[in-house]
Amino acid sequence: MTHKERMLAALAGAPVDRVPVFSANQTATYGQMDVSGAEWPEAHQKAGPMAKLAMAAHTALGFDAVRVPYCQTMESEALGCGVKYAGREGIPRIDVHAYHIGDPISLPDDFLERGRIPELLEAVRILKRELGDEVAVMGNVVGPFSIVANLIGITEALKASFKKPESLLPLLEVAEQAGTVLGRALVDAGADIIVIEDMMASIDVISPPIYRDVAQQPEARQVAALSDVPTIMHICGKLNPIISDVAATGVSGISVEPTVDAVAARAVLRELPRHVALIGGVDAVETLYSGTPEDVKRDVRKALADGYDLIAPGCSVPPSAEMANLKAMVEAAEESRAPQPA
Amino acid sequence: MTEHEILEAATQAVVAADEDKAVEVAKEAVALGLDPLKVINQGFTPGMRVVGDLFERGTMFLPEVILASEAMVAAVAILEESLPEGQREKQVGTVVLGTIEGDVHDIGKGIVATLLRVYGFQVHDLGRDVALTTFVDKVKETGAGIVGSSALMTTTMVGQKALEKMLKEAGLRDQVKTMVGGAVVTQYWADKIGADAYAENAQEAVAKALELAAN
Repeated sequence: MTHKERMLAALAGAPVDRVPVFSANQTATYGQMDVSGAEWPEAHQKAGPMAKLAMAAHTALGFDAVRVPYCQTMESEALGCGVKYAGREGIPRIDVHAYHIGDPISLPDDFLERGRIPELLEAVRILKRELGDEVAVMGNVVGPFSIVANLIGITEALKASFKKPESLLPLLEVAEQAGTVLGRALVDAGADIIVIEDMMASIDVISPPIYRDVAQQPEARQVAALSDVPTIMHICGKLNPIISDVAATGVSGISVEPTVDAVAARAVLRELPRHVALIGGVDAVETLYSGTPEDVKRDVRKALADGYDLIAPGCSVPPSAEMANLKAMVEAAEESRAPQPA
Repeated sequence: MTEHEILEAATQAVVAADEDKAVEVAKEAVALGLDPLKVINQGFTPGMRVVGDLFERGTMFLPEVILASEAMVAAVAILEESLPEGQREKQVGTVVLGTIEGDVHDIGKGIVATLLRVYGFQVHDLGRDVALTTFVDKVKETGAGIVGSSALMTTTMVGQKALEKMLKEAGLRDQVKTMVGGAVVTQYWADKIGADAYAENAQEAVAKALELAAN
């Protein structure tokens, strides 16, 4: 199986030669910057370095998929928010929220030409050209509720989600369109898989009823509009109480943190009429950043026993994580490979 | 309303996360000439403690906690205005709080600040996106006994480790206890970097801070 075939098969619930390994979230590390010669902040801004650094996840680590971008600010910047860079060390973040609740808002006609989006799309074209059909190319978009949190500030978004959820609807609609239009453009540029990161829709942040009433419907519209490719939803936190609601958005796979009870989540997903992949299993902080390769392999073995379909860090990879730890994810997956018939 | 009814209504207003109601109750308490400290300590504060408990049990979520905490802050501001100078409660300790540079928001830390104030700490809240040197300078300036930092992302948590080192280099580490929290932070991480305490949520942060202040 090629790396890409392995990714797509595992997402579809089809047999694989070994479990795929990748990261649904930010994957770059300083080690990958050193070996690829592409680093932040240029890799946040320019297609060439962006693609080059992403490629290191395959060439230097052996991951089955590569992904861009590294931040969660592309759509919000294109919608008018101010972005602050963090040099080589970190990821750009929103420092100016461009909207208030009640402001008129619509998706600009030239949305795809704004901010760094043209560079992001070009980076996907480069990755596709370089990696062809060998390795899965993933484009990430930010989920609707999380974009709204960027547009108006998370505190305002949370207060409104409880007090006056209907006041968020116009914002959510444009946020969903932004991610969907970007997602479509990423597919056109060659992305094989779209990851939707809706980190603020976590029930560490909002309640299950607010997830269902506010965050879930725009997610579902987005997934439906991208249904010609596999989609992965990443939401942080202990997702168990809403795991079936997340599945109901129509996604192919759900990427979760290790705080999730994976056995229970797997049991819920198994009851569904279609296959929904469970993704994660490696603790990004305690294992990848603080642990040893042996700790990483232990996480992977446990994840496989717990029923994860694809192995990935449960959260963004800490940029200072050692490459040996990331490679150990692939080594452990290789060790799990089914014995070949003689 | 009787004093008892006011205290009851104050607690209810915070638990209901109803700022308008909390302000109304505070104003009525002032108009009735009730002891502002008593209204804070036996009316509003128990409300915030209930909120903390409900949050810890997973029956109340962050949006309501933020609103409850804002209701509490608004009501206490009104009551404190009518407090004679020098009648402020004795502080149980001084805390410097902030979210590490590079992080996106500071909701959790804001709630920790409110709760610590509720429990009698003097809190210097540095806000979000705080440079490490600002933490160190503020500890130096205030002589705080506790410094708390929050990190939400795997890209910013390393700042907490660097802060430990900077406090040592500034010769402050013996006089200040360190607390860490935030979405990606765990007890394991706290132990690894040598922080004195880790708290999973705001209620636990208060319990740990009270412990540290007592030692």
